[in-house]
Amino acid sequence: MTDVVSGPAAPPAYGPATTNLADILERVLDKGIVIAGDIKIDLLDIELLTIRLRLFVSSVETARKAGIDWWETDPALSSRAARHELREENERLRERVTALEAGDAAGSAAPKSEAGA
Amino acid sequence: MTAHPDAPETAAATYVFAVGRRLDPAVLAGLTGLAAGSPVRGLTFGPLTAVVQHVPAAEFTPEAWQERLSDRAELERCARAHHEVVTGAAACGPTVPLALATLYRSDDSARRALIADTHRFAATLDRLEGHAEWGVKVWVPAAAPERPATTAAPSRRDGGGAGRAYLERKRGLHRAREHHHDRALRIAEDVDAALRRLAAAARRLRPHTPDMTGEKDRVQVLNAAYLMTAVGEKELLDAAETWRRRTGADVEVSGPWVPYSFVGEG
Repeated sequence: MTDVVSGPAAPPAYGPATTNLADILERVLDKGIVIAGDIKIDLLDIELLTIRLRLFVSSVETARKAGIDWWETDPALSSRAARHELREENERLRERVTALEAGDAAGSAAPKSEAGA
Repeated sequence: MTAHPDAPETAAATYVFAVGRRLDPAVLAGLTGLAAGSPVRGLTFGPLTAVVQHVPAAEFTPEAWQERLSDRAELERCARAHHEVVTGAAACGPTVPLALATLYRSDDSARRALIADTHRFAATLDRLEGHAEWGVKVWVPAAAPERPATTAAPSRRDGGGAGRAYLERKRGLHRAREHHHDRALRIAEDVDAALRRLAAAARRLRPHTPDMTGEKDRVQVLNAAYLMTAVGEKELLDAAETWRRRTGADVEVSGPWVPYSFVGEG
């Protein structure tokens, strides 16, 4: 089934086997024939699949970060992380309010910790 | 689990990769599969043959899989190994891939399950014979958030010209973004419609989001799979080139794939 196609400049991924992990994952996890096995593995949750793809394919994720701590720090996935983020934002705002109320130095108080996450 | 700790049946599980009609043992012998040191082999059932391998049962429990799914290197290894065996088997003739992690406690147990589905496998093999799957992705530039030229208009008290200009700029940016967005979606629909006309079957897959692709400068607006005959492949490649030229979008083609997306399920 590998027909050699001559033609216009083919894109780089062209060939019987792509090396793109996302392409392979979405096919082997989510496609193909499903028959009941003796050993039940729940691979078909699409949302989880998407999350896994984010985990495994994103070039900015390090292998170490792809561990359990990632789940705990992504606000989209963890209400605890969301609360944590809110608390941090609250603290930043409080600091600024304090700085403003001390306000005789209009604007001279360089806001601390302005760095986004 | 069964209660024979020393029986080979409890030591090894049977992993099923794919089903075909005739498999060439020589082709399979070159494949590693998921467990080093255990051959990838054919398991006949009725008129068909499954591609299987014995794997250590203890490493393939549901718990082990859950762990594996959160271990990047390990999941990648398994996905690629599964795909390599499926692709290798397909060199022998029409092959239907099974989803990752289809496991049985023994060859006999696997055979019983497969036999029960013989008709379904045979029908799918008939339908897919002579076809291959091709993946097509369309990307457009990520809309660059153009910064409005900050013409520091002198803030005069009469007229509010600065305010109005600011709103106009905002509106202009918004319109430009919407236009870019609409055009991107239209390109995706047009490319898909054109390629569907060439294909025996077509499916839209979920486009990969920027956090999956890690791409900053372009956005994937189409991720689709097309089932093609050998004749259709050339047409598909030509059409991809045409749309590339016509729209300036990146149209990426991958294939031929074993028809994972067309085995007739979700």
